[in-house]
Amino acid sequence: MTADIESRRAQLRSDVSLAGRLLPTHYPLETFIAVNPLAGLEGMPFEQATRRAGDLYGMRGTLREFDFREFHRAGRITDGDLDRALMRRYPNLSDAPEVVLGDRSMSRLELLRADLMYGTTTPEPKRSYRTRSETQAPAIIEAVDTQTAKWCAAFFGGASWPMPGRENGFYAAWRALAPADRKVPRAARAELRRAAVCAEDAVLDALSKLGVDDDARIAYLQAHLTRMPGWAAHVQWSAGRNAGIDLLDYLAMRLTYESALLAHHRGSLPAGRSEELTGIPSARQRATHLIEVLGLADVSDSEISAAARVLTAVPVPAREMLWQNAFEANCRDDLLSRLASPDMPVAVDEVHTHLVSCIDTRSEGLRRHLESLDGYQTLGFAGFFAVAIRFTDLLGGPPSDLCPVLISPSHEVREVTDPDMSDAAARQVAGLRGLAGAESAFHSAKESLAAPFTLAEAAGWVAAPLFAAKTLAPATTAGARRRLLGAVAPAAPTMLDLDAMPLDDRVLFAQVALTTMGLTYGFGRLVVLCGHGSTAENNPYQASLDCGACGGQQGGPNARTAVAVFNQPAVRDRLRDLGIDIPADTCFVAAQHDTATDRVVLLDTHLVPATHLGDISRLSRDLTYAGSALAAERCAVLPGTPRALSQGRAVRHVRTRADDWAQVYPEWGLVGNAAFIVAPRDVTRGIDLQRRAFLHSYEADIDQDGSALETILTAPLVVAQWINCQYYFSTVAPEVFGAGTKTIHNVVGRVGVIAGHTGDLRLGLPWQSVSDGEKLLHEPMRLLAAVQAPLDRIDTICDRNPILQRLFGNDWVTVAAREHPREQWQRWSRTGWRPWTESLSGATIHPEEIVQ
Amino acid sequence: MTAPVLTKMTKVEVVVSGSDAPAVRELIQSIGATGYTSLSGVSGLGHHGYHQGRLLFNQQAALELIITVVPQPRIEALLAGLRPLLDASSGVMFVTETFVSRPDYFS
Repeated sequence: MTADIESRRAQLRSDVSLAGRLLPTHYPLETFIAVNPLAGLEGMPFEQATRRAGDLYGMRGTLREFDFREFHRAGRITDGDLDRALMRRYPNLSDAPEVVLGDRSMSRLELLRADLMYGTTTPEPKRSYRTRSETQAPAIIEAVDTQTAKWCAAFFGGASWPMPGRENGFYAAWRALAPADRKVPRAARAELRRAAVCAEDAVLDALSKLGVDDDARIAYLQAHLTRMPGWAAHVQWSAGRNAGIDLLDYLAMRLTYESALLAHHRGSLPAGRSEELTGIPSARQRATHLIEVLGLADVSDSEISAAARVLTAVPVPAREMLWQNAFEANCRDDLLSRLASPDMPVAVDEVHTHLVSCIDTRSEGLRRHLESLDGYQTLGFAGFFAVAIRFTDLLGGPPSDLCPVLISPSHEVREVTDPDMSDAAARQVAGLRGLAGAESAFHSAKESLAAPFTLAEAAGWVAAPLFAAKTLAPATTAGARRRLLGAVAPAAPTMLDLDAMPLDDRVLFAQVALTTMGLTYGFGRLVVLCGHGSTAENNPYQASLDCGACGGQQGGPNARTAVAVFNQPAVRDRLRDLGIDIPADTCFVAAQHDTATDRVVLLDTHLVPATHLGDISRLSRDLTYAGSALAAERCAVLPGTPRALSQGRAVRHVRTRADDWAQVYPEWGLVGNAAFIVAPRDVTRGIDLQRRAFLHSYEADIDQDGSALETILTAPLVVAQWINCQYYFSTVAPEVFGAGTKTIHNVVGRVGVIAGHTGDLRLGLPWQSVSDGEKLLHEPMRLLAAVQAPLDRIDTICDRNPILQRLFGNDWVTVAAREHPREQWQRWSRTGWRPWTESLSGATIHPEEIVQ
Repeated sequence: MTAPVLTKMTKVEVVVSGSDAPAVRELIQSIGATGYTSLSGVSGLGHHGYHQGRLLFNQQAALELIITVVPQPRIEALLAGLRPLLDASSGVMFVTETFVSRPDYFS
């Protein structure tokens, strides 16, 4: 009997794990990382996955047909795009006979296109995975949700009054407290009092009372997990981090509430599902509708039937995906046609400075403007520069993991004082600690029970004018704060302690970084490694604007670490043995690009040899120019910007926004991201990609074994796809996978935000990250990976990496490739490479959708 | 000199993707196993073709081999939990008899 219950508990644990696979990963605000919220469904083709998500969450998988039709009217989607999308899906359309409707004869393509443009729009998706109470007594599932939000906020919130018994874990604490909750009916409280000691048994008991069979268990658990996916996702993230909570605890609470409340529910209990999806017109209704819209007369009954048979081939729910394909094709065709062909001139400057920036789309603008000046060549590489570090800054607080979340940090790196400047460093540390202490004391007093009254008396006289100044004159106030910081804690030169990183590891990382980005010869006098971060005020989602390759944090420490390694003679000696000869007069320099202000700061310049100070001065001046040009360019698309600003005023305007604590649009982040280009810079140099492409440098000739390309496709591409999907679903399904409007956000501890005072933890990006309030700024498109490399090399890599087979084969990422600019782009498909322009390539034909 | 007395136990080896490994490790701990050995970045050939081993910057996509040894009373629960996990993914499991010299380490 004991063995039996142990087995049942183990099976339940597995079922909970499997049910939880569909949840997105939710990182806390401080390390907010973009993720694909449907990553758990990547094993399915994209279209199928979005339909499943519609069943689970009641969310949309694409924009509405109304939106696509607006794009069509604006010329963003053409008739040709629609026809090619139809032909790709239904290859035999062009050979089929025409359809006669009254006095007009139409090709089947025309008829289907007319249906796309004028057909009755698709009904909104509804959840079909529903709990017992959701179908039988909606008030009860609302009550369960309310309790869930309350207890999760209490457990995670970090409030001044911590949840009693929190140290015993969530389930134990909840079990002790919940029966005393007077908001729960008395009879249900009695049930709660009898809840099992262990969470597994509580779930098994509740499922038994609810009549859920083992075979239906995973689906039922998913119905609960998807009711409030924000809290469930955060619980899942917390499991395994000794947080005292896991999905089993979370489900035990929800299911116990549900079974207790349903057991004493006095209303009527309608059996089964109360409603099914309705509102989808029949094919005949669609045909009749089109005849009316097109103004066709004298159409016979048999002609309507014939048209209906054609329309049957494209079910109404499939239309949105056809629009999506056409929308993406328009953008992709344009991009691929613009990428360099052999007859386009390629810059052949004498390079004095190489600048390596993150692949982030925002770097593209900086690179473009810098390269408009003589002597600069830029490259793209993941912004952690291949050094996965656990970094402790000079203040010595908790270390930060600065690397993609796909890996764990390999080395500890500490910021230490320069031995020659220890007094200055000590003054900086003391100043920063003093300021941090004052700020901490202010916020602690603000959040405790009685202290706010005293705080208002004691500090109100200074706080009120300060807050007024921050609101009315943000730039002036920010300038004053910077001057205060400079006076109290003047910046002191520091260094990084790399002793924990063995020489072999340093050499390996240096070799990997250089070969992967394709920089193994022809080094400039300066090689700048430029990380990035963002410094917006009062933005809980600031981490979403920092570097994803650095775990949602600023990339400066990684750039500094990498530069320190590259400048070490011992590393260069070993690299020379490996065939990479970095000249003695090449100096690596670290920098950080602030993407909110487009200021680029050079780091550790006190370590630059005197021989290169002239180069540094030129670099600093040119970066100021490039940053200003980029800021002015971005200013034009920021909401609320006065028109026709001079470049100087535009730059000031952009920088003032970053200082403004009331500004909900400090920058546009990675809005518009649509492509990931893996190629030498020659392919993209001189082309304005409008900050829509991730750019990873790659030279196929120096990667004969394909290891560099494999690294690029299995890591940076994967992260780019996460970012792409995060923006995509925050745009098309903002209610489920978007964080809503910033204006009503309340931060819960350090875990996330809720909209208003209660409810689910919000997932994804705020609405102000993808829209200007009236119209979408982000055009949701799946990622196009354009790769310049031998096709068989890509095939080999794909064959041995299931993650790529899923992403490419299931249409989460589309791959275009060519070995050389002389050749045409080819499209990857499960059945082999096909010319990009071929309409029928890789068509997915579902038997039920073949036109008869 | 006498030969050490060995105690019969059951060894379970599981190969799953790095993203599925936490669920396996959690299950092993939940049934009362005292530990496991984990080897990441393993490569091999199976139903789904060749699978690349260590990837430089992606530990989640690589395969992981997890080995645990449990006494007989715990094996049934462990297998009951592992089966649904493996049914839903591309992993494999090997179960063999094994012998240990210090049984108190495993129970």
